[in-house]
Amino acid sequence: MGGFGARWVRLVAASAAGVLLVAGCSGNPGGDSDSGGTITLKIGIWGDFGINDLKARYEAANPNIKISVNTGEYNAQHEDLQKKLIAGDGAPDIAAIDEGFVIQFRGQADKFVNLLDRGAGQYETRYLPWKWKQTLSADSRTQIGLGTDVGGLAMCYRTDLFQAAGLPTGRDQVSALWPTWDQFIATGQTYTSKTGKKFIDAGTNIFNPVLGQQPVGFYDQGEALVMEGGPKVAFEVAAKAIAADISANLPAFQPEWNAGFAQNAFAVLACPAWMQGHIKNTAPETAGKWDIAAIPGGGGNWGGSFLTVPKQGKHVDEAYKLLEWLVQPEQQIEIFKKVGNLPSQPALYQDPAIKDFSNPFFNNAPVGQIFPRAAEGLTPQYLGRKNGPTRVAVENVLNRMQTADLKGKPLSEAWAEALKEAEKAAKS
Amino acid sequence: MSTTRATPAAAPPTGSGGRSAGPGDPDPHRWRNRLYRFDLRYTPYLLVAPFFLLFLVFGVFPIIFNGVVALRHWRLDDATLTGWAGLANFEKLLTDDDFWNALYNTFGIFLLSTVPQLTLALVIASVLNRRLRAQTWWRVGVLLPYVTPITASTLVFAAVFARDTGVANWVLSVLHIGGAEPIDWRSAKWSSWLVLATMVNWKWIGYNALLYLAAMQSIPKDIYEAAAVDGAGVWRQLWRITVPMIRPVVIFTVVLSTIGGLQLFTEPMLLEQNAQAARGGANGEWQTIAQLIYKVGWKDLNLGYAAAMSWALFLIIVVVAAVNALITNRLGGGKR
Repeated sequence: MGGFGARWVRLVAASAAGVLLVAGCSGNPGGDSDSGGTITLKIGIWGDFGINDLKARYEAANPNIKISVNTGEYNAQHEDLQKKLIAGDGAPDIAAIDEGFVIQFRGQADKFVNLLDRGAGQYETRYLPWKWKQTLSADSRTQIGLGTDVGGLAMCYRTDLFQAAGLPTGRDQVSALWPTWDQFIATGQTYTSKTGKKFIDAGTNIFNPVLGQQPVGFYDQGEALVMEGGPKVAFEVAAKAIAADISANLPAFQPEWNAGFAQNAFAVLACPAWMQGHIKNTAPETAGKWDIAAIPGGGGNWGGSFLTVPKQGKHVDEAYKLLEWLVQPEQQIEIFKKVGNLPSQPALYQDPAIKDFSNPFFNNAPVGQIFPRAAEGLTPQYLGRKNGPTRVAVENVLNRMQTADLKGKPLSEAWAEALKEAEKAAKS
Repeated sequence: MSTTRATPAAAPPTGSGGRSAGPGDPDPHRWRNRLYRFDLRYTPYLLVAPFFLLFLVFGVFPIIFNGVVALRHWRLDDATLTGWAGLANFEKLLTDDDFWNALYNTFGIFLLSTVPQLTLALVIASVLNRRLRAQTWWRVGVLLPYVTPITASTLVFAAVFARDTGVANWVLSVLHIGGAEPIDWRSAKWSSWLVLATMVNWKWIGYNALLYLAAMQSIPKDIYEAAAVDGAGVWRQLWRITVPMIRPVVIFTVVLSTIGGLQLFTEPMLLEQNAQAARGGANGEWQTIAQLIYKVGWKDLNLGYAAAMSWALFLIIVVVAAVNALITNRLGGGKR
């Protein structure tokens, strides 16, 4: 081997030393050790709950508390919480749960702190009644979470791109363009033919809001999968939009979608209140170019979350205190102004701080009027235990219609595939 | 080792160890002899024991426990669903489209990566085995991809093969290959397999080449000289002399890459934009078995079924590795 051999040995030795070094460093004890009397509270969320902005204020007021926010992917965070609950260890002190997953966790109320025992009952009257019930156990004795935000629905659009396509840019004029989804798709075709660019981000972002407008979602109250009702209506509208070739084929919440915001890859986006924060964080350079109009077909809901305290947490008392603080009007208003999440406490909608608030990022759209109106007129759907995985399965079929094997195939074939995948998800 | 052996010799027999042999000991050398024999016979076992103890705890036990789990219902989202399932999980496997799709993908990617990988490695090794300028530079160079962390290289490749912004599509468009639309690498089986095989090959060709090179160094040069005198060309020398003479190493690399190829996980996971989904494409275009096991276990939270899949994968690997080793042995001219 000659000189090579010796060098080879040296290389191996050096890299082995490196591995040992790394291994040695990682042997550092867990981060939640309470050194010097301070307590670290872990919060598990996805997206932006506005907690990052409030964190410093709470820590300043409570010097013994440090808040550590773990932001993960939406589905992954829920799956992770589920694993930790069964494993009996490792859940965050405060875990966020979205309405799409809440039924699944409500069925395991014994693994969460009963907030009623902590005096959360006093807040019941403040909440939208259906929001309060979504986390309440069947016997009304256990409340596992307090609502943070509700979705509500509107349609965000890019005024600059609309102008370039010769479309009106005023809020009311734009709303008048699309009272129905058919008219919305027709508007998209006008836009695409004039500019050569795509109108919507992905078929799934038509599917989800349309499904949110249906009286029944994927599951009925008896936990039976009912695809022929709401899901079929939503699927057909989404398929129509895809067939009209107005979709940029950018599956939501993924890197290319995020890049699409900056590259003007699409001109409209179905906007629940929480989407405002996402747009702002993803494409800060588009400030002022967005505006918000009504969504075709009126109202509907998409998303909205809860904060819960898993029993296995090490600092349950402190966690509840922080949770209580976060749902107080002052903080809820602050979150709405900062990231757009609409509070689920209707009394706040009358507060001038919300009522008169217009979002400068969205061309000063009166979001304090738009979203509360959507939320108050809401009759929420029942979302079954397997709602999360089922939604992902059907979204995948819609994605395949835009990029893969189902591209250009007749609707009946795609729908059969959606049925098959949804049933698989329901049984998985 | 030397201390064990030296202690009785250095210490006078009055030491406590020696004393315990008893004053009535007829032969003072007996104790020392016994110790010596013990050392000779059992010290090697003592020295290898730590590995086997660790292997028992972290290797054998999980495998057996996994087998137990495979025979049970075990769901993480429903604590009440437990109990013996018998062979139900394995029966479900036989009719599960996802499993067969993943198996098909795994073998497809495995063939696309292993065959060119080992062939190219052999060629590169035989080139490196000649006299070259800056020999060491070349030899270290081929190993560099192996040193790169697999996650890092995969993320880079995922960016290279992006649909709208990737370098691969840009190069193709510059060369006027393909249609007007950029290739969506992730949307079809053939293209996604190609991407994954590229990643695997890039990482492992150099590694295998160095293994071959090490084996080739032991082939006496005069055999090649004799062959050259007899008129054998470069290729002939490679297939008739080099390959048969490094047969054990070739078998070793074939078995190793069979195991690695059938367990492919990181690359397919990270090719997906949303790695957490573990879908391997919208329709499982490139979902491998290892990925499916992860999905069933940790996303569908069905641990019993996932365990059954792992056992099935284990058996498949054993069979395939054995067959491969046998074929390679034959090809190399072996008679075993």
